[in-house]
Amino acid sequence: MKKYWGKALSTIALISLVSVGPAEAKDGISLDGSTTVGPIAKSFAAYFTKKYKVQVTVSESGSGNGAKSLINKTCDIASMSRSMKPQEVTAAKSNGVNPVTTVVALDGLAIVVHPSNPVRALSKVQLADIYKGKVTNWSQVGGPNGQIVVIQRESNSGTQESFKELVVGKETPVTRNAETQASNGAVKNRVSLTRGAIGFIGLGFADSSVKKIAVNNILPTSATVKNGTYPLSRPLFFVTNGQPTGVVKQFVDLPKTPDGKLIIKELGFVGKY
Amino acid sequence: MIMSGEELSSQGRSSAFVVSARQRKWQKISKTAGESTLLLIASFVAIIVFFIFFFVTRDAVPYFQIRGFKEFFTSTNWYPADDPPGFGALAIIYGSLMVTVGSALIAIPMGITAAICLSDVIPFSVRQYVKPVIEMLAAIPSVAFGFFALVILAPLLQNFGGTILMWTWWVIVSPFLLLAIIVASELLSAKVSDEKKRKRLHTFLSVVLGIIALGLLFFVGNKLQRIEILTGTNALNVSIILSFMALPTIVSVSEDALQAVGRDLREGSYALGATRAETIVKTILPAASSGILAAVILGIMRALGETMVVWMASGNSSHIPSPWFNYLESVRTLTATIAGDMGEADQVTGSARFHVLFAMGLLLLVISFICNFISERIIVRQRKVLSGQ
Amino acid sequence: MNLGTRKLFDRAFTALGFGSIAIMGMMLIIVLAPIVSKGVSAIVFRSTVEHRKMLYSEFHRGNRVSLEKEIAASDAARRPVYEMLSEFEAELGLMDEDKQQEYKAKLDQVRTAIKALLGPLPGESEPALTRFKYGQNRWEKAEEKLKELVYEKQWDYSNPDIAAKEYFVSRATAFEGTSLVRLFPYVEKNIDKMLLPEWTFYWGFITDSSVDSHIFGGIWPEIQGTFFLALGAMLFAFPLGVIAAIYFTEYAREGFITSLLRSANSTLAGVPSIVFGLFGLAFFINTLKVSESKSVLAGSLTLAIMILPTIIRAAEEAILSVPKTYREASLGLGSTKWNTIVTVILPAALPGILTGGVISLGRAAGETAPIIFTAAVSVGSAIGLADVFSSPTPALSWNIYNLASEHEAAAEIRHVQYGMVFALISIVLMLNLSAIVLRARISKKLKG
Repeated sequence: MKKYWGKALSTIALISLVSVGPAEAKDGISLDGSTTVGPIAKSFAAYFTKKYKVQVTVSESGSGNGAKSLINKTCDIASMSRSMKPQEVTAAKSNGVNPVTTVVALDGLAIVVHPSNPVRALSKVQLADIYKGKVTNWSQVGGPNGQIVVIQRESNSGTQESFKELVVGKETPVTRNAETQASNGAVKNRVSLTRGAIGFIGLGFADSSVKKIAVNNILPTSATVKNGTYPLSRPLFFVTNGQPTGVVKQFVDLPKTPDGKLIIKELGFVGKY
Repeated sequence: MIMSGEELSSQGRSSAFVVSARQRKWQKISKTAGESTLLLIASFVAIIVFFIFFFVTRDAVPYFQIRGFKEFFTSTNWYPADDPPGFGALAIIYGSLMVTVGSALIAIPMGITAAICLSDVIPFSVRQYVKPVIEMLAAIPSVAFGFFALVILAPLLQNFGGTILMWTWWVIVSPFLLLAIIVASELLSAKVSDEKKRKRLHTFLSVVLGIIALGLLFFVGNKLQRIEILTGTNALNVSIILSFMALPTIVSVSEDALQAVGRDLREGSYALGATRAETIVKTILPAASSGILAAVILGIMRALGETMVVWMASGNSSHIPSPWFNYLESVRTLTATIAGDMGEADQVTGSARFHVLFAMGLLLLVISFICNFISERIIVRQRKVLSGQ
Repeated sequence: MNLGTRKLFDRAFTALGFGSIAIMGMMLIIVLAPIVSKGVSAIVFRSTVEHRKMLYSEFHRGNRVSLEKEIAASDAARRPVYEMLSEFEAELGLMDEDKQQEYKAKLDQVRTAIKALLGPLPGESEPALTRFKYGQNRWEKAEEKLKELVYEKQWDYSNPDIAAKEYFVSRATAFEGTSLVRLFPYVEKNIDKMLLPEWTFYWGFITDSSVDSHIFGGIWPEIQGTFFLALGAMLFAFPLGVIAAIYFTEYAREGFITSLLRSANSTLAGVPSIVFGLFGLAFFINTLKVSESKSVLAGSLTLAIMILPTIIRAAEEAILSVPKTYREASLGLGSTKWNTIVTVILPAALPGILTGGVISLGRAAGETAPIIFTAAVSVGSAIGLADVFSSPTPALSWNIYNLASEHEAAAEIRHVQYGMVFALISIVLMLNLSAIVLRARISKKLKG
């Protein structure tokens, strides 16, 4: 029987030996929050780790979660696609956290449909009616006869909250029939695979697999988002505890550097600076 | 007092070898201490169960204090992030129910027949190879099933849903219809005593019933083919996958129950001239029914408590489908809601929004506790009955 | 009913049983076949020269001399493409305003498509993101991108009352009469010279860390995280489970307490996995504060609780299946009870206990729900052994979910997802298979 113990022990020893990686710098940066800011955060993280040899971890669990982590002091930077709510600020203050907001980039909320959908433009009112459940068929907004598959985001999403505020209105709820997806990528995927679908995603996510729709006759592009003519645009934030210092400051200031600007542009977002 | 083996042996020993009183005292103390340590470690499980109930309840209670019971169980307005928020979980509870029932509808008949086949039909040599297959099915991680449901099954359903439904209908129903035709014509013509007339009637009945059956097959098949599935991430998709996750449990537990029915019952039935099918249906199944029920309960629980598959592939829309049995619409379940909504912030402020998820967890916990309790009772009772007490 | 019908029923019944088992087997194949075949293609595939460039500059791997030769060869094949582009740009300058506008938009599309295929164009500033630094790494993806370059996908919106149908237009027709028209047949004909595809066995998929959130590179951090979590869970659950099983089989007297403990065990086995996650969050992180936030430790503890009942049951069964004679012989020789358990019963039951342990290890490795709130992050590098008490880790199960349904380019990196699922399933099934083999050997041994 000794044989078995020996085998088991040596296996465990082997695995632990193999998996002992180099213990890297402890004072890394941790980010938590929005999936919309996710691509920027992840790319910044990769860039930052490579350039400054500082470990950066990124969790994408929604803006709400990011705020929570910041308030609990479990992350250094909360990436958010909406601003902190008054309750969150109060909670932060009572926990000894002083949230300071920096704009990372601008983002348009692109309304997307399946490429086979002939509808080119919707007014904000029509859009609101679709999401309120008043309009349920594409023929009601000048499209072919077919049911509208409404796709929204999880309730912890900043994109969802921005969309609700900008389009549907704070008081009215989104139709119960709306499907819920966890991220921008998931919404894009669902829309690109579903003929009757409509969804909203960050401008950076909209590629050729989906069709962007003009809202109030203005198509979302970097130009229309930057000059504010596109009606559904919003800033994206990094929130830190107090004025950022040291490596955190370096990280938060990345959007102002040439490389940072380039990353933002390459990802399809719109730079603020 | 009942003496354990060790006490007996140590007593026997002490008469042979003289042990000092002090040594014996020490032995006794160390034995008691050792045994209580063991008991403590063994009761760790009970402590954990208590802790789980305690901590989940502790975080669930504030929700009911803030919002009361009525809204949670009777409203379908699930708008946790809105202002004012809505915490009506009825549609979500219904969604959980729906996928559980759907998976049960697929898994129960398949699981029981497979278990019967394993315990009574297949020779032992084949069984050795079938069991690992079932174990492998049980071992596949839920996230792999979820990935399959999302990436492979959902697009298939969306693009060829009608055709898939039609073929499933054909493949599953036609053998049954064939059997029904043969049996029905046999039964209906059995009363005619004249041999020649009986045969003619038999042929006639077979043909007529056959035509009716074919018509039915085509009619329904056609209807099914024309169904357009709007979204592939729906209750049907999830039910199919969940049923395969519940199957291994159902098969192995009900196989145990069937095996527990002794040889004598089987042999008695065969001796009376019953065929194998009759033996199984009329003798063994009734004897094993409670064990099979336990198996079904355990299998259903696995489907109810599953998170990843439903989170990835159910579509997550919190509404009651219209009509209520429409499995082609997307639904949202308790588990997926907990996993997806937990992200929200107000943990620190202790809002209803955070605690409502624990309320859902508590609901799941209570349901699983009750189911477990019932199935355990059933198994214990069956063991008693079968062992002849 | 006559005998014939009864016999028929009997056969039908048998067929039904076989049918159910066949469906189960088929389901296993249907689920596993695409995962295995596409999962393998994450490791064995036709790689392009871009892949080798990426390996060399990101992981310092490969032969420099031969790589330089290859790059020179591929650059020679690419040069005409870039020349044609600049030639056309010069031509564009001479056209009138309207035409210039029209062609410029189309040219931009062509440039984007070429960049996607071959990597950044010469003379452009180097992209900051790694994903834009290289062309297509995989040949089958390159073929897709080639199609996108040569044909433009368009949708026929002429009738607004029906869903549009897609159709493909050759891009060459759009540039009819200009110098650029030659580019498309040239690229189509010489694509393999530009990308130099060859079959590769990319073992780095298992051992490399990911580059630019899984666009390139491997899945080592995830595999390592999974090992840490599963082994950590075993570290807590295995000793506890075995000791509890010893108590239940050797010491427990039938009574209220014992039956309560047994019920507790089966209740724990039935708790939905997501509830374990809630409990782990509420207890280990928010109450005990074993770590500030998510950590491997918290995840392992949560998983340990989840697999404890399985280990207890398996160990109990194994101990009970040790023949009574062993015990009696040992006790008869005057050994104490505890001594008997440690020196006779446990060694005899060890293979059975290990089987249960191995199966539980597989379960711990595959579970997702308990670690969502307690241990898993979507991006992070492999952590050292010293960090398990404080840092969260990526893990296969969570990252499969994350890549498949949350990643911004989920549809582009299907091969990585399949590779991850394949890795996870191989780990779990290999553990299970070894358990099955182990068990078969035990039963053979017990038979004699």
